[in-house]
Amino acid sequence: MSIVARLEQGALRPDEELAALVEQVSGDGAIVSFVGLARAQSTSGAGIDMLVLDHHPSLTQKSVEEIAVAAEQRFEVSHVRVVHRCGEVLAGQPIVFAGAASRHRRAAFEAADYLMDRLKTEAVFWKREIGDDGSNWIEPTDADYADRERWS
Amino acid sequence: MKVLFYGRLAEAIGPELEMGATPGCSVASVRDSLIASHPEIESMLRKRRALTFIGGQLVRDDHLLTGDDTLEFLPPVSGG
Repeated sequence: MSIVARLEQGALRPDEELAALVEQVSGDGAIVSFVGLARAQSTSGAGIDMLVLDHHPSLTQKSVEEIAVAAEQRFEVSHVRVVHRCGEVLAGQPIVFAGAASRHRRAAFEAADYLMDRLKTEAVFWKREIGDDGSNWIEPTDADYADRERWS
Repeated sequence: MKVLFYGRLAEAIGPELEMGATPGCSVASVRDSLIASHPEIESMLRKRRALTFIGGQLVRDDHLLTGDDTLEFLPPVSGG
């Protein structure tokens, strides 16, 4: 059993994170992974050049760890791996990798879904979109909070 | 007392302020003082999902401060 929860200041390589997860698994039958990318358009349709993710020097890491640990405890998964970017992320580049391994696929699917619903609403980041409309702070949507409530 | 800000709060008034708060005063009273001097951040500080931390611990409005505390005001998080 293992939990990886890491903040990444530089480029995030989903292929390397998935390979690391595959390497760790022995005897399990499933890995599910999710990769979130920086969108090139805002909800209003304006072009976005980059996302800037401000973070807290200790609370951000702690929040990501807590979410990863909770996923491991809630589902029958053997490995959880969450890697999250901070700083400037160009449109189209990966922001987050969330993966889980389990003996059978259902637990890994659910764990990955749970990880993302909690990360989207509770991870301690403050995000700005920089693009055609200037710089705009963004917060979770009502849909994000509703997704989070599914697990309460 | 040192007061730290993050996200759009930091953008509005800077990442750090030094305040002459009296030991024994509450988190709520520091917030009220901040709002009096920086009314532009009132809506951010009073949001339901805004959080206040001291020493990495979440504190409530009635928490009483010591002179050495560093108070951190976090606007609602964006999530990942």
